[in-house]
Amino acid sequence: MSSAVTTPGKSVGKSNYTIPVGPLHVALEEPMYFRIDVSGETVNAVEINAGHVHRGIEYLATKRSLNQNIVLTERICSLCSNSHPEAFAMAAETIAGLTVPERGQYLRVIAGEVKRLASNLFNVAILTHLVGYESMFMHIMQVRETAQDIKEGVFGNRMDLGAMCIGGVRYDLDEETIGILTAGLDKIEPEVAEIVKTFKTNGSILRRTKEIGVLAKEDAIACGVVGPVARGSGVDYDVRREAPYHVYDRMPLEVRTFDDGDVWSRAMIRLHEAQNAIAIIRSCLKELPGGAVNLGTKLDIPPGHAVAKAEAPRGELIYYLKTNDTEQPERLKWRVPTFMNWDALGLMLRNAKVADIAIIVNSIDPCISCTER
Amino acid sequence: MSSQIAILIAVLLFPGGLFALALGLGLKGADRRIAARLQGRVGPPLVQPFLDLVKLAFKRTMVPTTAHDLVFLGAPLIGVVSMLVAAALVPISGVYSPAPALGNLLVLIYLLLVPAVVLMLAGSSSSSPYGAIGFSREMALMMAYEAPLVLIVAAVAVRTGMAQGHWVTFSLTEIVEYQRTHGLFLLDPVMWPAVAAFGFFYPANLGIVPFDIPEAETEVLEGPLLEYSGPALGLFKIMSALKAVVVIGLDIALFMPLPLDGVPAFLGWVVEMVVLMVAGVTVLRISMGRMRIDQAFVFFLRWPLLLAAASLAVVVV
Repeated sequence: MSSAVTTPGKSVGKSNYTIPVGPLHVALEEPMYFRIDVSGETVNAVEINAGHVHRGIEYLATKRSLNQNIVLTERICSLCSNSHPEAFAMAAETIAGLTVPERGQYLRVIAGEVKRLASNLFNVAILTHLVGYESMFMHIMQVRETAQDIKEGVFGNRMDLGAMCIGGVRYDLDEETIGILTAGLDKIEPEVAEIVKTFKTNGSILRRTKEIGVLAKEDAIACGVVGPVARGSGVDYDVRREAPYHVYDRMPLEVRTFDDGDVWSRAMIRLHEAQNAIAIIRSCLKELPGGAVNLGTKLDIPPGHAVAKAEAPRGELIYYLKTNDTEQPERLKWRVPTFMNWDALGLMLRNAKVADIAIIVNSIDPCISCTER
Repeated sequence: MSSQIAILIAVLLFPGGLFALALGLGLKGADRRIAARLQGRVGPPLVQPFLDLVKLAFKRTMVPTTAHDLVFLGAPLIGVVSMLVAAALVPISGVYSPAPALGNLLVLIYLLLVPAVVLMLAGSSSSSPYGAIGFSREMALMMAYEAPLVLIVAAVAVRTGMAQGHWVTFSLTEIVEYQRTHGLFLLDPVMWPAVAAFGFFYPANLGIVPFDIPEAETEVLEGPLLEYSGPALGLFKIMSALKAVVVIGLDIALFMPLPLDGVPAFLGWVVEMVVLMVAGVTVLRISMGRMRIDQAFVFFLRWPLLLAAASLAVVVV
């Protein structure tokens, strides 16, 4: 991947001045650098620079064994920390022709959806912080705290679940953990419904998010955006439905789209997916079969290569794995949703107001640490 | 001679100066604490704004190499001095009335403009692009809220003046005295639109959500204040604390001076201060998000201007 992505906007003309946003900026959670040419309060052109947090993880992955890479890939991104080892394990299983036991597949879905619930609430909370609505921010973070409690109670960790392994999962649900999970879901469900209602009616939020950062459907397709950004622009695409993995084809999956393509639509998609995640987890718990959760530890992964994809909270995540005779992979490469989405920022920011820059950037839920790894 | 000493005391000790600063910092502390409690947080101690000042006093003031030194460092000083004088101009019913030599309502209105102008100077002299954006936003917001303010003040001045047989009075002392004998303007339906319009003006003047646009942290990183540090930033904080006392004090003097005397009058005034701060600032800022500058501009030209004009029209006719 190139270290700099340049997005030509409208020709600069008589721009008044250039403002730097980033690499360190209170509105950005991670280092990303935008050079923005503005006339008064209106954006003329945007230049996006990346490459501030390159960590050399792709190289590192070829120095670790396949099982160690489960641990490594989990640390690529904090909010999608479950999707990375999940897609990696799926690629390894495809090479070896392994089928994960059914109980393991259900448990994978549960782990993925718990992470999705927390991740989407986090992004929506940051949005309210950026529009200056601090009370709403505090409230949504408080609601998300329940999801964190579920993670801590069921998986033992609040961010990295450590749930995945090649051939299944490393955790199992018993009476007690199912109780924690159900109690948590019962608590969080009405709260999320209330947040959805607030987003539909609250003037402060509507004023700052409606018709802001619009990405038209044609542009969305041209940029190849994925995840909530695509669905917010009317592109009806979700890996969980188009290429069902695990047991998603048996789940009450609802893929919603909005046609407006603005910041509000993307936030609403995230909230709906948080609600849908709750329904999916409930359905998993109801249908959960017995049996083994993984295929044991001594798995033989033959030489070969495979591609696997999963729907991370931010969108389609693709893993390519090539193995040889050694324990280490010969090549491991992944394409994260943010890589597809940040190019569209140039279009969203065109003619935007300076006040909306941070709101628009946040609306693609950028994850720089996994894009630049 | 003694009148000059009295003015000096009014500006430096009471009701301006140290007293106003202590009260302003107390109000800010209460605001932060109550906002935190309403949001389910513990919040900082009441004396936090004071502790912040102490911390800033021991830090260095960094001046950007590209900044205009004299303006950059002079701006906060002008702001504080203007607010010290303004604080001495605000009467406290039954406790203090400003000496006529100090100035009247018109002087106070001009002084109230100074902090906004000072922030503009600060923003443009810092040579930071965020400062420049803060400058243009501050200017737009000032133009938006200044028109309603003038109409509100005119409504009160004409109302009092006409009742006393001349056209208009700009003496705050007279306005307060009139209300002490003839009842508060707060209870007069004719003045209600003006009271409401003032309710919109003071969060904007104090830079509170939804009108904290020039200094919006997540948009322009505190705008004009971005390059300030140490004692210079502390001066801005002092200015802002004094401004809270002046603006809310003006609200009380214009519409609700308590007809009391001595200690009860003083305590009543402090209670009114706190109530207005909590109701008009704390509750407002935690229940809303920020507006964009164009939205705020249109809002001010629509509602507060209309309300203030309505009061003035009824008063004149």
